[in-house]
Parts: sequence; structure tokens; C-alpha cells
Amino acid sequence: MPSWSDFQPFIVSGLALGGVYALSGVGLVVLYRATGVLYLAFGAVGAMGAFIAWQVQQQPGGWPGWLSWIVCIAFGGLVALGYGVVFGPALAGRGPLIQAVATLGLTLVLFGAIDLLWPTSAGQSRSLTFPTDGSGFTVSQVQVNWTQVIALGLGVVITVGTGAFLRFSKLGTAMRAMANDREITGTLGVPVRRVEAAAWFGCGLLSGLAGLLLADLSALDDTTLVFTVVISSLAAALIGRLRSIAVTFVAALVIGLVHDLITPITQIVNYQDMTPFVLAAIALLVASRGHITSRSREEG
Amino acid sequence: MSSSACGTSPGVKATGTPIILGGIDTKQPGTDFSDIENMTAAYFNCVNANGGIKGHPIKYYALTEQTNPSQIAAEARQLVTSDHVMGIVGSSSIIECSVDAAYWKSLHFSMLGAGIDPECWSTPNSASVNMGPRYSSDGAVQYVLSQGATKIAFDQSNVPGTTYIAGGPNAIAAAKHVQIQDFTENVPITSADGIAIKLVDAAGPSGAVVLNFTPPEALIILQAAQKLNLEDRVKYWACSTPCNTDFLAKSLGPKWNDKLFVNAELTPLDQDTGKTAQLYKAILAQYGGNVSGGVGSFSQMGFVNGEIAVSALESITGAYTVASVNAAFKAVTGFNTGMLCQAFTYGSYSEHIPNNEDYTVTPDNGIFVQAQGCTDISNSDPQIAAYRAIAGTAPSVPTS
Amino acid sequence: MARASGPARARRVPAPDRRSVIQASVIVIGVLLAIFALPPLMNGYYTDTMTQVAIYSIVTLGLGLLVGRVGLYSLGQVAVLTIGAWAGARLLFATSQPYLLVLLEAGLATMVIGTLITLPALRLRGLYLALITLMLAGAVTVVLATINFPNGGGGFSGYNGSFLHIPQIRRPSLAGTDPAYYRYCVIIAIVMFLIVFAHLRSRPGRAWAAIRQSEPAALAAGINTTFYKLWALALASFVTGVAGALLAGADRELFSIDFPIQNSIELLAVVLMGGVFSLWGAVIAAFLLEFLPALLQDWGVPNDWLIIIFGVGVLQVLVTAPRGLADQFPKDMRRLGRLIWRLARRPAAVAVAAPGEPGAATGPAASTTEAARHD
Repeated sequence: MPSWSDFQPFIVSGLALGGVYALSGVGLVVLYRATGVLYLAFGAVGAMGAFIAWQVQQQPGGWPGWLSWIVCIAFGGLVALGYGVVFGPALAGRGPLIQAVATLGLTLVLFGAIDLLWPTSAGQSRSLTFPTDGSGFTVSQVQVNWTQVIALGLGVVITVGTGAFLRFSKLGTAMRAMANDREITGTLGVPVRRVEAAAWFGCGLLSGLAGLLLADLSALDDTTLVFTVVISSLAAALIGRLRSIAVTFVAALVIGLVHDLITPITQIVNYQDMTPFVLAAIALLVASRGHITSRSREEG
Repeated sequence: MSSSACGTSPGVKATGTPIILGGIDTKQPGTDFSDIENMTAAYFNCVNANGGIKGHPIKYYALTEQTNPSQIAAEARQLVTSDHVMGIVGSSSIIECSVDAAYWKSLHFSMLGAGIDPECWSTPNSASVNMGPRYSSDGAVQYVLSQGATKIAFDQSNVPGTTYIAGGPNAIAAAKHVQIQDFTENVPITSADGIAIKLVDAAGPSGAVVLNFTPPEALIILQAAQKLNLEDRVKYWACSTPCNTDFLAKSLGPKWNDKLFVNAELTPLDQDTGKTAQLYKAILAQYGGNVSGGVGSFSQMGFVNGEIAVSALESITGAYTVASVNAAFKAVTGFNTGMLCQAFTYGSYSEHIPNNEDYTVTPDNGIFVQAQGCTDISNSDPQIAAYRAIAGTAPSVPTS
Repeated sequence: MARASGPARARRVPAPDRRSVIQASVIVIGVLLAIFALPPLMNGYYTDTMTQVAIYSIVTLGLGLLVGRVGLYSLGQVAVLTIGAWAGARLLFATSQPYLLVLLEAGLATMVIGTLITLPALRLRGLYLALITLMLAGAVTVVLATINFPNGGGGFSGYNGSFLHIPQIRRPSLAGTDPAYYRYCVIIAIVMFLIVFAHLRSRPGRAWAAIRQSEPAALAAGINTTFYKLWALALASFVTGVAGALLAGADRELFSIDFPIQNSIELLAVVLMGGVFSLWGAVIAAFLLEFLPALLQDWGVPNDWLIIIFGVGVLQVLVTAPRGLADQFPKDMRRLGRLIWRLARRPAAVAVAAPGEPGAATGPAASTTEAARHD
């Protein structure tokens, strides 16, 4: 059995990995709470935005980095807004399952587009970097860079901020009501279309920002950003029952920690990539024990 | 230099009956080797525009596959039964050599390619211009051992053949009584930080981390090591040939100069001013429109494939058939490609490892420069020893 | 009491209506064509492609059953397929049992494993259930990446890591060549379709229809919904397991990298596009998944375009045509047929009118065109 000092550096890297999952997972749950749709294209939209940002940075003439970031974030907002405005009403009332499967359609479209526009032939390897990548502070003999701190901090801010926004503000409450039942909310005099647009746009901006950070922290790679990170962070979102942003955040950190802490344990290290799935399965099955009579929207 | 030097009659378009060839490359998100056959196609187009093969143009079918065995088997049959190819050139696939081994054997094809699948170096019917993951990793391990590394952490992607690939580095390290630890990673990699820490811990301060990944994955691990400030915690970092692309050199910062050493299976291009390199760049510029990776080892391999194939075809007297074309490929002996350390010989052997001498390069502010000249891959690798026992050691030739 | 006499009894059996007779004949003709007429026409490339179509039509059949009949959007059917392929490959290497027995065993093994894994999750419903299938599939994918597919090696996993001169998975002794194996797969696929068809026409099918309509109502009517959902899952796992074993024989070498998790998403996309409410939908879905890419590859079009089309297809199906192509296509064809019929009849009507007053049409022609206009 490895010693404590063997595990130590993996606590840091595990938290960093957890930060990646937290950013993605929290984003998914926030979107779900605000729009009622499990926006599985979250990763794909962010990925395409990140690739566009990379492309902007490659332009001759030295475009400033911050401009490319703004392009990415704006792209996220616009795509989400476009999708929400077109498919929100079209699929309203079909239930969260159908709406989630529809976002898989958007995911496939974006994935195909990214691979067409940014091929990986001949080992072309792209990467997105931030000025904060190079500096940080040392913990347990490994360096924690500021980008990771920002990502984690952003996760906390989103968790606390959107939680409060959704609960206490008028717009947030309207969003929650709409996510629950669009038609009834409409009859109550809430400007449904405008609230819906605001929810999608806001969450889209979030997916663009998350995409930037994830591309830096994880990889500027389509399969990773579109599928792998999203599916793993979905595990955290499931542990939070798609309801509690705070639980999702914590669950994501736990998943990252457990995943990396397994590394020094040579007997099971080959299976460490199962961590998100196993934890989600356990959590869901344990939670659904005393849950037979009560039904939620997701189970309808 | 004009690209017309590729052919025997500059400016004269070939118009005779075509000589039909084909190739199969892996092309899917994250793993795309199609540049190799695209460059071979470019070479053939150049030849066709400058006299062809004694007036005959080459018709080249460049197929791609997505690592689906039935698709690959189907494409091989399509090339043979529908397209009537006479030879296979420029194939570069993770599994094609294995899937079609029995088929090519039954048809007596002698393939020329840039292999990846271990089978490509282990049958009588296939010879590659490159060294492939095992022997290229051998070269990387050999270099760091020659520089004094006392422990090796060898990591590779979890694709078919990991045991075979690790066998080479393990044998070479064992011969020098150096401890080596093998790892594999599922790709695509999402947790590069943990991997970097793991490898650095395993190698130790006077050890070396040796990677065998496609460039995007290797880049992620190296960048993670840098962000964690771990790159100096081991003595050396090394990488098999796929890392030898300028994309990687540009993405890595100056911290990796003389820190990362990459095995180069063909002549490093950045300082190569020889005639062959000039011809390569000219053909790339004029005919290589769909070689999206540009200058680099992938298109270099495609170029060398084209070179050898054309030289072999030129030697054919009489009709161009499956039998004559494959006999010509097999008869290639002592050919100086101008881009390999050694003369290239196909030969009638039970297996082929014609490229077994390599360079080592290191990044230097955005490009790769030579760190060590042509060095034989060690006989400590039993496969290399077995090959040299039947084929001898090919003579070294200077870059030209 | 005396039994009714022969002719009277026969009268009570309803005569098959014309429509189902036509449908049945179309199916039989189609099957005969597929088995006998196609192979000589196809070159090696398309023979292999159509073999994949036949195999994957079983997989889409299973998923269509789950989605269309029970409302279970499983995002992990490809993982189930890999379990079947693994079991099939292992048995084919380790034993010399007859092929049909191996198919049966692989199907049963997959049925047991697939059902056991999903069993605890059956308490969930809707979106949660779909997502948990994705999680379970992810876990299976990682396990597979570690133990790998059997390739003739020894031990439990049967995996030889050196990957040199590995033997090919054997085929049935009577169906070794590619065209013969294609026919074999088509026949097995037909058997699978018949098994599912038999289920749909009997008690489980009615129970599934009730569950799909409204699960609480079904419960209230006394249907054991958990039992029937389990049955559907078991059936879908069984047929997919058989398909997996067939795949082992078709591909002859299997690699874990061929079954990434995103394939499950593509599978769901084509099943939705093909249509989940009809068995034809499964066939269409298999063509989309396996034939179209082969065609595009032949034409040199990048596969990415197909992914984009699948994405658009999913959106289109969910928004406008929930019954999918299987339902939409015949409707469109019928409309097209009517249009052609009308266009063909109009010159005849005009020709009949010409001898008399302008515009006048005589009896039968007039009434026919009038009828067509009312269609």
C-alpha cells in the first residue's frame, strides 16, 4: 500500500481534475435549473468556441488574446440563444428526456463541424494557453497554476452566485418557474420568450467561458471536450440529482480526487477511468432507495 | 529547385496505360495519418507530369479507414477486385497490416508503407520506411541511456500491441541493467496532471520519462509537466518519432530545449539543404495541396514511399502486372532515399525492419534540431537482432 | 353441444386483409432478394458493408424495442454489443462448438449481464434512467479497454498483448467466405426479427404498449411494469448479444478502440431517424449507420458530414416527425405516387375531352379525375 507521501501530490492534481469536472458539471446543472433542458451540447459549444478562439489567435497581425476569449464566449452565448429560441418552444412540453436527446443532435452537428474545420492530420496538435498558466504557487512539491485556481474559483462563484440568483432574484425565479412548467408560467404573465432567451443566452456565455478554461486545463481536442469531459461531469451532475448545484460541485471535486488518488494503487490503476461512472451509479442507486413513491420531473 | 526533377522527362505528361497502385491510411478524429498517402499521391502526380514511368502514369487510390476491421478488409478487397491495383504503397494504419496479413500473403503482394501495427514489421509481405512505435521507442530509450539515465518510466497509449511495443524498450533497458517501469493510458487523455506526476515519480531525479503517443497526447502530458513545474524533476524526457513535428516544437516553450529528446526516423528537415529535401519541398508546394500537415515527418514518409516505389517501377521491363510490380518492390536493394540513415533494401526475408538507424532531435525555440546523428538501434532488442541476423546491417548513406 | 361444422368454423376466422398480405409479400420478396440476388451483384467492399448492415439491424432492433415500445432511451447499447462480441470471440477461440450454439450462448450471457447491470436502475425512469445507462456504458467501456477483446491468447481474458500473428476469429464451417457469411447474418437477423415480432404480437407486446401509453395507468390496470420492462431489457440484450457474436465473426479481429462511448449516441440518433415504432425503422437505421458511411467513403466524402447529418436528423425527427423515416418515407412515397398518378391521368382526361366540346369530359374519365382530386 503506497504511503501518505505517495498520495500527496495526487491530492493537488485530483483537485485540479475535479475543478475541470466541477466547471462542466455546475454549468450543466445551472443550465438545467434555468432552462429545464439538460444541455448536453454544453461541451461541444464550448469546444467550438475554444477552437474559434485558437483560430483567432493564429491570425497574422497578433490579435490580442482577450479578443479571442470574447469571441469564444460570445459564440457560446449566441449558439445557445439560437438553439434555445428555435428548439425551446418547438420541444416545450415534450419532457426533459426528449429535450436532452435533442441537444445530442446539436452535439453531433458541432462535433462533425469541429473535425471538418480543424483536422488533426499529420499530428497537428493545437493548444490554448493563458498568461496565468505559467505562474502559481507550490503545494506538495507540485505547482498549482493560477488558471486552475481561477477555474475552481469560477466554479465556486457560479455555484453560489447562480444559486442565489435563481432563488432570490425576480428573473431567476421566473426562470425556475419556466423550467418547471412553461405554459403555466406564461399564463401567470411572465414574459416567457424574453426570460427563455435570457436564460439560454446567459448559460451560453457560461458554456463559452467554461470551454475556454477546459480547453486550457484539459486539452484542445474535440473528443475530449465534446464527449469525455461532459460524460464524466455528468456523473457529478447526477450525484447532485440535477438539482443541487452545490452538491454537483462537491461531487465533481470528489470524483477528481478519487480518480487521481487511485493512481499510486497499482492493482486498480488501470480501472481509474471508471471512477465517475461507478460513483454516479452508486449515488443514484442509494438515493433512489427510499424514492419509489415520490416522482420528479426527470422521471415523468 | 523545380519539382520536375521527380520525373525522367521534365514537362512531358504521361499518357500511356496507367500503373494502378493503392494505399490505406487511418483517418479519424485524433488519429490521422492520411498525409502520408496524400504526399505519396503528390509525388506520383509530379512524376505523371514529368514523363511518368516510361510514359505510363501512375493511378493511385488513396483510401482512408476509421480502424474498423471489416471496413479495412472491405477496402483491401475493393482495391484488388474493383480497382485492380498492382501494388500497395503508402499504407499507414493502426491495424491494417494485421487485418489483411493473410489476404496480402495469399495474393503475394509485397507492400511498401509507413507502418504502425506491429505486424507491419513481422511478415514477409510488408516493409516500412519508418521504424514504428517499438523501434522508435527503442531509439528514444537508447539515447537517454547513453546520456546516463538510471531509471526509465515508459508510457504509451492503450492501442493494440502495447506488450509488443514495450518489449523493445524493456529489452534494451534490461541489457544495460537499468530499471524500467511500463505504463499505458487510455486516450484521449483527460487527467494529464496525474499522469505527469506518476511518470516523474517513477523515473526519479536521475531517470528519464519516455513517451510513445500521438503528438496531441504527448503535448498534453508535456504541457502538464511544465505547468506543474515538474519538467526538471527528471533528468531527461524522450519521445518516439510521432513527437517529431514542428507543431509540437512550437507549442512547447524554450524550457524543453535540450530537455526533450525525440527519436527521428528520417533526416530532420529544418537544417537539411540537400537536393532531396529541396525536391520534397518543391513537390509539397506544387502538388501537395491536400497535405494539410505541411512539412514534417508524416509527409516525409509519404515522399520516401513515393521515391522508392517510382524507382522500383522504373526498373520493370515488360508488362506492368501484379507479379511484376510486386517483384520490383521486393527487388529494391541498397536504394539511397536521401532521407534515411541507411540504404533501403526490401529483400526476401521473413520479416522486414529496413529502417533501423535513426537520429535524435531536440526542440530549439520552436523547431527541432539534431542532437545526435545516425545511430543504430541496439541489438539488445531481440527483434532487431533477429532481423540483422538474416539481413545484415545496411550501409549508412549520407543525406543528399 | 355439437361443434360447429367445418365451413361454419372456417368462416369465423377473419380473412387476412389485403394490406397485410401485400406487406408480407413485400417482406418475403425483399428477404429473398437480400439473400439470393444481392451477393453476386456486390463486390467485396459492399458485401462486407451489407454484412455490417445485417448485424447492426439487430442492434437497432433491440434499441428500437427499448425506445419505441417501453420508452427506455438506453444510451449504452453499444456497450451491450461489446459484451456480446467479447463473449462470442472468447467462446469461438476457446471452444470448437458449433456456431449457432456460440451465438445462443453469447446472447444468453449478454442477456444475463445486461439485465443484471441495469436491474437496480429500473427503479428510475425517464431522463435519469437514460443517463444511468450512459454511466454504466462508460464503466463497461473502461473495463473493455483494460481487459481487451480476446485475440487467441490464453487465460480468462484470452488477450495476447503482443498483437503479432494473431489468429482470426473463426466463421461457421458452411459460411466461411464473405458472401456466405453475409447470407448467414441475414438469416440470423431475420430470426431475431421474428422473435421480436412474436413478442410484439403476444402478451408482452400488449403490456409494453400499455406501459408506453402511460406507466401509472398500466400499473393501475394490474400490469407488473417492472417485470415487463425487465423482459424488454432482457430481450434487447439477448438480440444485441447475438449481434455481437456475429460481429466477432464478421470482423475477425476486435479492438476496444472501435467502440468508444460516442458510438452509443450515434446509434440512438439513427434509431430515432429510422423510426422506433416499426420494425422497418430498425432496417433503415442500420442502413444509415453502416451503409451510408461506406458509400461516402467510396465517394471520398469525409465522414464528418454524416455526423452532422445525423445531428440534424435527430433534431428534425424529434421536432417534426416523431415516427421517423419508417413512417415518413412510405407516406412521402404514397404522396409522390398519387402525384404521379394524377399527372399521368390528366393528359388522358384532356385527350378524351378533345373530340367533344372543349373542356367536356365523358363519364368514366371525368369521375376518375374527380376522385383523384378528392384524394
